[in-house]
Amino acid sequence: MQAEPAKQAAADSDSKYDEDIFDPSLNLEETHVKEGYKDGFHDGLVLGQQEGREVGLKVGFEVGEEIGFYCGCVDVWNSAIQAKSSCFTPHVQKNVKQMEELIKRYPILDPENESVQDIMDSLRAKFKAVSASLSISSSSSMKLEYDGLLKSSGANDLEF
Amino acid sequence: MELIDGNLQLKEIQKLEGHTDRVWSLAWNPATGVAGIPAMLASCSGDKTVRIWQQTPSGRSSGSWDCKAVLEETHTRTVRSCAWSPSGKLLATASFDATIGIWEQIGNDFECISTLEGHENEVKSVSWNSSGSLLATCSRDKSVWIWEVLPGNEFECVSVLQGHTQDVKMVQWHPSVDVLFSCSYDNTVKIWAEDGDSDDWHCVQTLGEPNNGHSSTVWALSFNSTGDKMVTSSDDLTLKIWGTDRQAMNDGFAPWEGVIASGAADDAIRLFVENKDGSIDGPSYNMLLKKEKAHDMDVNSVQWNNTETSLLASASDDGTVKIWEFASVP
Repeated sequence: MQAEPAKQAAADSDSKYDEDIFDPSLNLEETHVKEGYKDGFHDGLVLGQQEGREVGLKVGFEVGEEIGFYCGCVDVWNSAIQAKSSCFTPHVQKNVKQMEELIKRYPILDPENESVQDIMDSLRAKFKAVSASLSISSSSSMKLEYDGLLKSSGANDLEF
Repeated sequence: MELIDGNLQLKEIQKLEGHTDRVWSLAWNPATGVAGIPAMLASCSGDKTVRIWQQTPSGRSSGSWDCKAVLEETHTRTVRSCAWSPSGKLLATASFDATIGIWEQIGNDFECISTLEGHENEVKSVSWNSSGSLLATCSRDKSVWIWEVLPGNEFECVSVLQGHTQDVKMVQWHPSVDVLFSCSYDNTVKIWAEDGDSDDWHCVQTLGEPNNGHSSTVWALSFNSTGDKMVTSSDDLTLKIWGTDRQAMNDGFAPWEGVIASGAADDAIRLFVENKDGSIDGPSYNMLLKKEKAHDMDVNSVQWNNTETSLLASASDDGTVKIWEFASVP
């Protein structure tokens, strides 16, 4: 009678062992997938942050430089208009004023704001209109253009 | 030559030769062809020049045409389009060299009195509004520019309009209202108007595929004389006629009033007219006649003479301009 519980126990441990044979092999795939995912997520996070910093710095510089350029132009033009407004047609004065308002409205601290591209496009268009008018009236062949540092020097070679 | 409506034909009056490259476009001087002034025509070409042709004073359709002037040594690339101001005193020329030339006739010569710069690349088209106070230009740089004409033939850029997503092929002002139409490689026609309050120009409507628009590049557009209908031509091989809500008043009926002429890359000129017998579903247009082999190569532009509407001029890749008379077969 004593042999039976032992046999039972042996049988029990056998069946447990049977279950375990398959479990680890199934789990092996799953655990490896999980581990790989964890590694990838971690590495991706590191690389993503790195790239984000690089791209953010580059784009931030470009945007800042362009907005700053228009800001400088508007300041100079405003001073000139104040000094002798008769030298500037009403259209030019109006466009300069509109550029000023657009610059104020540009959400420089909120890059995910949807209006960034529209405001930049409007600024570029108004800048072209003003510089075209000014270069006609100055009767010189000098053309005022915005040449960003990155644009003019072959952007992709610069390392940030 | 195929006729659908019987005894009408397009008769070649004269072939004007002289350009040494394809002729892109033409414009009739609106101040000529009336009051004894012989009709005058400007043609512009890939040879970087514009030629002015004038009919000799002797006759109407019978007088012959001579080259009166060649406007050269100004544009450094193809001249793609030209347009006379409504007074006929100024001619604007649009060039691939990214500039617009403004020319004035002084005696028997034409002088370039101003050059408008600003576009980034090839200027494709130029158009004057009905009062001659505004000039519109468009370019491969996707923008449309509006210039104001100031005293002393000075020009000032009033607005740079962005909106098209591709090369803008043509601009045309509405014949009576200061509303600007532009058509583009992006398959749309855009309508631009001035905001009453802030004096700003912006796009008020876009005619694209969602509203029965073209499915390929829209090359050209044109208005009827009353301005209530517009026709557009496209790379999708169709002409579309657009209407506005305004009603047209038609006092007299001239057989060729409201005839649409089109030139195509198959070297033919076609004429279309509205089917006045009316259909239940709305207006319909029929092809009135097809002039095959009107030129030896692609027909780039056709223009009705605005004073004498039976005369049609055509410009082609074959380097020639042809004058046609649209009339009944005798």
